Amino acid sequence: MNISTKSPITWCPGCFNFQILAGFKKFIENEIAKGRKKTDFAIVSGIGCHAKIFDYVSLNGINSLHGRVLPTCLGIKVGNPNLEVYGFSGDGDAYSEGISHLIHAARYNSNMTYFVHNNQVFALTIGQPTAVTEKDFTDKTTPQGVKQAPLNPIKLMLAAGCGFVARVFADTKHIEWILKEAKKHQGFKFIEVIQPCIVFHLDKGYKEKTYMLNSKNHDKTNFEKAMKKAEEFNYNKVNKIPLGIFYQEKKPVFEDQYKMLKDFKKVKKSWKDIKR
Amino acid sequence: MKLNILFGGKAGQGPNFLTNLLGKVLIEKGFYVFYSRDYQSLIRGGHNFNVLTFSNKPVYSNESKMDFLVALDENTLKSHQKELKKHAIILKGKEKNSYFAGRLFKALGLSLKELENGLKKYTRFKENFKLAKEGYEKTKCQIKELKSKKKKLIFQNGNQGISESAIKSGLDVYYAYPMTPATSVLTELAEKQEKGKFLVLELENEMAIINASIGSAITGAKTMLGTSGGGFDLMAEGLSLTGMAEVPLVIYLSQRPGPGTGVATYTSQGDLNIARHSGHGEFNRVVLAPGDPRESEELTNQCFYFSQKYKIPAIVLGDKHLAESFYSSEQKPKMVPILKSTKFARYNSYEQNSEGSSIEEPELIIKNAKKRLEIQKQISKESKKFSQYSVYGKKNSKNMIISWGSTKGAIIDAIEDLNCGFLQIKYIDPFPDIEKLLKNKKIILVENNVTGLLGNLIREKTGIKIDNKNKILRYDARPFLCDELNMEIKRRLK
Repeated sequence: MNISTKSPITWCPGCFNFQILAGFKKFIENEIAKGRKKTDFAIVSGIGCHAKIFDYVSLNGINSLHGRVLPTCLGIKVGNPNLEVYGFSGDGDAYSEGISHLIHAARYNSNMTYFVHNNQVFALTIGQPTAVTEKDFTDKTTPQGVKQAPLNPIKLMLAAGCGFVARVFADTKHIEWILKEAKKHQGFKFIEVIQPCIVFHLDKGYKEKTYMLNSKNHDKTNFEKAMKKAEEFNYNKVNKIPLGIFYQEKKPVFEDQYKMLKDFKKVKKSWKDIKR
Repeated sequence: MKLNILFGGKAGQGPNFLTNLLGKVLIEKGFYVFYSRDYQSLIRGGHNFNVLTFSNKPVYSNESKMDFLVALDENTLKSHQKELKKHAIILKGKEKNSYFAGRLFKALGLSLKELENGLKKYTRFKENFKLAKEGYEKTKCQIKELKSKKKKLIFQNGNQGISESAIKSGLDVYYAYPMTPATSVLTELAEKQEKGKFLVLELENEMAIINASIGSAITGAKTMLGTSGGGFDLMAEGLSLTGMAEVPLVIYLSQRPGPGTGVATYTSQGDLNIARHSGHGEFNRVVLAPGDPRESEELTNQCFYFSQKYKIPAIVLGDKHLAESFYSSEQKPKMVPILKSTKFARYNSYEQNSEGSSIEEPELIIKNAKKRLEIQKQISKESKKFSQYSVYGKKNSKNMIISWGSTKGAIIDAIEDLNCGFLQIKYIDPFPDIEKLLKNKKIILVENNVTGLLGNLIREKTGIKIDNKNKILRYDARPFLCDELNMEIKRRLK
């Protein structure tokens, strides 16, 4: 089954978002081929270049507001805990406008997968710095350069208690792989995607500096080691960029804490089926 | 017969317990009871008081002069000395609450049995009743026996009416971030969620509240949220999204004085315009303003009706005075059944095509806008099936008071002996056709705000300009008292 829409794709030619889209579609189409229904899935996007993904994937859901992807996803899970929810945000969305929701999402631990398309810039508004843009970055709004150091979202998510913290590169294969890993984990899955903007924040040799975390070079059940790995890339200077799963820990899932939602999961129903 | 009793003390001393206990017992005896709460934004100490007014005729407001003063501390006596009638009875002391209850019941000529039955509704009955009995026996009766015909009265406050209605309307999920004076809907529903099989959730902030509400609503869950002005402001963008994406959502906006933090625990009707206009862009909404707990039930129910049927946000516009004051009512609310018809599909905050994907073509933008306009017309037409306004008092008089929301009670009590009618607007949006009712009338506007917001709305909708001299506006964050209001109206009558 093809889950494309009729909408023409308006990302810049060569944009790394194409890779994310292709990886996501491939994964979902594969799931449907294996017997899942298209209506089992829900997709939520914020506002920015990343959000156009909503227009190119014909799954149910909502193209919501800037910064509000996570509470919207949570609302959908509360509305119907049987839905498999995928949230998409940009770095402006996740780390600037909506950062409070990100921290709380880690705490709630609702069973959903959340992608942050991190291009370290507000691209669709033509190139202003976000909370993860490197120091001294200049643009028309900040001609004297960014004075603050960027935030490290991986460290932030680890500190917030997130049970699944990962980073991949905007590469179809990476997306497919991490989606398969995420599927195996119950809880809030934070996945940052390094997605260089080809117009406003060029790839400064990022890909060459990436390497994969694996069982030989990292223990993803060790919190301190995860923190150490998270510090290897500070979004400011690029030495090396670890990719893969930094940390994974099973934690109580939001939906399982409320009897009504737990029961809905058991009987595969939701509020809409309740007659009062 | 009509008596006013003021209960005052420090926060935590429990004037609420005494007021509620007496109120319930009087209701059971067949008296009409109204009580309001005046409390400060603090946890312990300070000065809180309630005024309970009761009568064997219907009563919906307090008066300015007290027949009885129950002073749990010295400050109460000092602060309210000037409000006492000449032969007012004063009960003061530092005893425990339940002891005081005994004294009060005896002073009012109520029986020990009535005290016992009243206390049974509360926790720690044995301990309380023992103390209460002591107090009862050490006090002298101060007034003639209170008599009234027994009748079935519903005794509740506005927030209880709203909560009750949400449940009866088939609520699935209620979201809120605590904010006075909406909070007691949150606690009321939280308490009843297990039995009622619905869910109550508190999230990190008001942006989360409205966006999670949207998420739940689009899956088909009947969803409601509650807040006050400041929280509602934070939700404005989400509200606008519901207008674009056509999301059915009921919003309880409980007003308190602004701007800013204003006066957090007091009352005002200053948010009429944010209820009407908050959120960027032009979109459909319903705004309904109840004037008492029974109307709170009916109009919350109608908000569910309109929001589910037309996939729009519907706002119940209340205020602190209505939310937390207790009213007695003989009539049961009239409720309409509400269908659940929302299906999980593709929703969009952008203008969208039939696939639910974003578009920018002018033809489609016009088509969508026209569709929204058409829905507005349907809502407007259907709203006429409901009671959009009520007229009280002498309907054919040349004088017409006009108001909305919680001022209703004081106005009804104030105009009893006056030559005037009272038009209460319940539907703020869509606004009813009231021109005929106001033709050749002297209009007197009564509102709990600084600038007469309903007056401005009437001018916008009908062209009728209300003379500034005929605007009775109270903006000290306190509700109207019926005797004072009676004087104010009298001065303006033809």
